[in-house]
Amino acid sequence: MTTVAEAAERPAQAIPPRPRTWPRTARIVAVLAVLTAATATPALGGVEIDLGAIADNWTNGADRIGQMLVPDLSVLPRTWQPLLETLQMAVVGAAISAVLAVPLSLWAARPTNPNAPVRAAVRFVLNVIRAVPDLVYATVLVAMVGVGTLPGVITLVLFDIGIVVKLVSEAIDSADSSYMEAGRAAGGTQTQINRLTALPQTWPALASQVLYSLELNVRISAILGLVGAGGIGRLIDEMRGFYRYDALSTIILEILIVVILIELASNVLRKRLR
Amino acid sequence: MTALAVPGVATAPIVPPRPRRRAVRVASWAVAAVVLVAFWGLDLEWDKLVDLPSDLVHYGTLMFSDPDWSMLPEALLQTWRSVSMAWLGALLGVVLSTLLGIPAAEGVGPLWLRLPLRWVFAVIRAVPEVVIAIIILTVTGLTPFTGALALAIGGIGTHAKWTYETVEAAPTGAGEAVRASGGSLLETVRWGLWPVVSPELASLALYRFEINVRTSAILGLIGVGGIGDMLTSYTQYREWATVGVLIIVVIVVTMTIDAVSGAVRRRIMEGAKVRGVDRST
Amino acid sequence: MSDLSTRPEAGGTTPSASGPWPIELDEVTVRYPNGVTALKGVSLRIEAGEMVAIVGLSGSGKSTMIRTINGLVPPTSGRVAVGPHAVSELRGRALREARGDIGMIFQGFNLADRASVFHNALVGRFSHMPTWRTMLGLASDVDRDMVMRSLDSVGMLEKVWHRAGALSGGQKQRVAIARALSQEPAVMLADEPVASLDPPTAHSVMADLASINASRGLTVLVNLHLMDLARQYTTRMIGLRAGEVVYDGPAASATDADFEAIYGRPVQSRDRLGE
Repeated sequence: MTTVAEAAERPAQAIPPRPRTWPRTARIVAVLAVLTAATATPALGGVEIDLGAIADNWTNGADRIGQMLVPDLSVLPRTWQPLLETLQMAVVGAAISAVLAVPLSLWAARPTNPNAPVRAAVRFVLNVIRAVPDLVYATVLVAMVGVGTLPGVITLVLFDIGIVVKLVSEAIDSADSSYMEAGRAAGGTQTQINRLTALPQTWPALASQVLYSLELNVRISAILGLVGAGGIGRLIDEMRGFYRYDALSTIILEILIVVILIELASNVLRKRLR
Repeated sequence: MTALAVPGVATAPIVPPRPRRRAVRVASWAVAAVVLVAFWGLDLEWDKLVDLPSDLVHYGTLMFSDPDWSMLPEALLQTWRSVSMAWLGALLGVVLSTLLGIPAAEGVGPLWLRLPLRWVFAVIRAVPEVVIAIIILTVTGLTPFTGALALAIGGIGTHAKWTYETVEAAPTGAGEAVRASGGSLLETVRWGLWPVVSPELASLALYRFEINVRTSAILGLIGVGGIGDMLTSYTQYREWATVGVLIIVVIVVTMTIDAVSGAVRRRIMEGAKVRGVDRST
Repeated sequence: MSDLSTRPEAGGTTPSASGPWPIELDEVTVRYPNGVTALKGVSLRIEAGEMVAIVGLSGSGKSTMIRTINGLVPPTSGRVAVGPHAVSELRGRALREARGDIGMIFQGFNLADRASVFHNALVGRFSHMPTWRTMLGLASDVDRDMVMRSLDSVGMLEKVWHRAGALSGGQKQRVAIARALSQEPAVMLADEPVASLDPPTAHSVMADLASINASRGLTVLVNLHLMDLARQYTTRMIGLRAGEVVYDGPAASATDADFEAIYGRPVQSRDRLGE
């Protein structure tokens, strides 16, 4: 008791000086504030924040949402064909990218490709592929080869390769790869070692990421149709053109259900892969 | 000790039969069948596929052999508009997601609040950003502001989920200490939870910005402005020399932002380790 | 052993490669990029068919030495020769062929856990298989037969279709030995082969190595840090300390004082495995 009291009476200089963290904090806050201000200034090319429009027109949006809350199920029969096309595109895209991702993942990971310049080149190309948004691919490809499922499938393949190869090569990088040394000590080439031992070691990671890309494909191919790249997005675009928001929400619900089903199925498959 | 027979002297060993795992076989056949049916059912226009390589070379040459660099200033301006959309969308989206996501975490909010919140997040996740933008543009028109709002609201779906997952994965010790000394729920969140989860949430917020940079280009395609808008127009005009410039700008800007944001995120997470609140171990 | 440089082509019934080879190290120095000198001017000659223990504490350079012999670690200076192969001067394909004649087993087994025992042992046939064959996953009858015989000789044939990851430590090391035997090596290297095993298993693995030395006549070089295993199973002992040879003589008659000189400290109970 007395010690506490004594401590309270101790002169103030016994307290270590508080470290000056505020200049750093202030700098960070200042940078964020300037960035935000710049992006919100139309004169600088930024976004014009128009709160007045929200105040004036919010009922328009509320009406749309109101319409969407009452889905029009009569559109369902028309959705089967495009939905099937969407699913087929998703599967084909995932399958092609899975085949291409096998060698690319092995070339992009350090243990399976000790050649640093080649590895860096593969990674760079993949970073470039990943930097282009999916719908941008679709737009340009539709202009090149015409409306249809072909540009959609190519878009999905490019998108899938980007993520699958990144995630799988990172998994190889972080996994134990001591078996490589045994292969080298037995006089094997890197290709032999990769094929016979690295491939079975990597297989679960690969399968799991391909399943994940399948889920993403269904979501993406839902909007690919907006630019003419096939699938159910075509119908979304049409319904939007006719202001059929009640039909739009039916299609979205349908996609939601399909995505959930695929997620459940792939969770089951993933557990079995262990 | 096992007798190590000298090979060549011993007769050929009897090899056990290779086991056939029926489940694996059935599964592989099923996968193969699904893929084949999908290939077969899809009208892939094989004649187009044959021309594809020469098409790619043809248009690739048109786009990249002599890009129209006079469009660069306009392209950069539009890119800045897209990045602005992405930034404001991320800022608003992260604030909303944090406010909604923390109460949705187990151990913070009550069940009657948690469940509906999580349902809202799940529904938003199911709606593509493009569709959200289509609804919002009836309020704010075809403006970049619509894009930013669509990114903010569309981002809530995944970002609020990441937020409550981060909060649930946080160690409970600090929060218990605050509760033990009589702290209210709000005080527990502020002094027990926030210091532990803020580095990861900050890192996730930057990641949200990286995602938004890509999505903002996509939103441009429906006409809310920015680089995506410009890209659609020039693709429709088939001015390939300009399209080439735009694609190069998109790639360079996206990769630069990824690199800078990735470096800052690593800094944030390493700083968290130094301060002893690392949760990764 | 008339002409050691011409070896009969590996065939299903051909006995172990070409008979044992000698190993020669001439003023071998290994300096790693981080500045550590692991071996300092080591010169040694190991005769064909010898069973040699290399003893030393961790960090004494014994692991580096064994990796220098099959070229996994290139010497900074000096010369390494194994039979007809001037290992230290070989690159690329020639080095891989030399490695194909040198079997090696590791402390951590270095098996691919998710691959089958068969595929792990097939790794030993790499230097005898064309790459296209490996790519298709097709083993020739000769390769397949060789792998099965090797697995049979270590008593692991019944596990041939199991996943390597599902085996116990002792079984894994036996598969690793079979992998090395599939190479039909002339020399067998072992880097702390029993350090991850319990005492009874350690003894049986050491006995397997001794039996390979006796029945196949292979030159066997084994890294150990336990004095009793060196005494019991090997004929010659080389002591390494800080990258230099400090002892070279018969293993059985090495005294505790000799071990103290190798370790640079009094002998402790952890230097013995016991039964």
